[in-house]
Amino acid sequence: MTEDTTDADTDEDVRTDGSGPGIVPPDDETPTWGERKTRREGLARLTYEYFERARSEDQELRQESSYVERDVLAFPTWPHEMIRNLALVSFFVGMIIFLSAALPPHIGPPADSSSTPAVILPDWYLYWSFGLLKLGPLNPDISLLGGQKLMADRTYGVLANLVVVGFVAIVPFLNKGSARRPVEQPFWGAVGMSGVVFAFTVAVLSVKNLVPMDSHLLFDLTFLLPVVSACLTYAVLRSMREGYMFNLNRRYYRLRPPK
Amino acid sequence: MADEFAKGLAIFMGGGLAWLTLAGWYRTPSFEGSGVQLVAPAETPSTIYGEIGVVLMDIMAWFAVIGALTFWVVIPAIDEIRTVMDERSS
Repeated sequence: MTEDTTDADTDEDVRTDGSGPGIVPPDDETPTWGERKTRREGLARLTYEYFERARSEDQELRQESSYVERDVLAFPTWPHEMIRNLALVSFFVGMIIFLSAALPPHIGPPADSSSTPAVILPDWYLYWSFGLLKLGPLNPDISLLGGQKLMADRTYGVLANLVVVGFVAIVPFLNKGSARRPVEQPFWGAVGMSGVVFAFTVAVLSVKNLVPMDSHLLFDLTFLLPVVSACLTYAVLRSMREGYMFNLNRRYYRLRPPK
Repeated sequence: MADEFAKGLAIFMGGGLAWLTLAGWYRTPSFEGSGVQLVAPAETPSTIYGEIGVVLMDIMAWFAVIGALTFWVVIPAIDEIRTVMDERSS
């Protein structure tokens, strides 16, 4: 490709779209434009057309502008990147040394395996799963069974884990994630916020004995707060949408002014 | 504007870290259990270094709060007021 363009190009200027004299592709594996154009079918073709159109639009804009670009592709690892990384590493290592020297953690007595502690809890990041084991009041009584429960509360709690994990697994199939920021899809932003809030409230429910609040009220709030937060999020995002689109259009037309 | 934010953040973090460390030394009976941490009444220190530390702890706490507020609120507000005054007078 480079030989062709260097031969064909009459102007000696370095072209800002990455081609032209003086610019060598990194290795032989870089596909030429000819090779790219042979992908004529299906999604590859569509992708090629999309990027080619975006590239040519950008090229036209660059050629119209008076701004001189340099052909810098990246900064070298040494010293540019390493200086920054060393600064970050020094900060965190220094912080660890300082904290371990100034506030050494207290080492308690060894664990006594013959006595059970009064409060047994999982690690904090598993509180949501622990809270799902306490959904006994939601376990329905079947009148056909004479008011008996279909399954034990603990079985119900374990199945609730499957429901939550199943919902989290299904969401990517319901929404492909084309939105890059919540304001673009207020509904799914609301779904996400309700999930975050539910993870928090069900975690609080798991330690309901330690929360200074009526446990029935806490149980109701566990399911009400996610709904409330979803409605709030939807309302806020929906009201932000117009302003967001206005800003987007303004920036787009500032970048690519209408002809 | 970003500079002002960075200055306020540096003061908040630095002063906060110093206060956290000193409060961990002088105002925390124990990090174990459910007792009060960092804000328990300070014991009377027996050494001159301890007295300096207790005084420095309060200084650092107020430095973190007032310093951050200065750079995040007061100085931007003064700038805004000055801009408005300049626009009015011109």
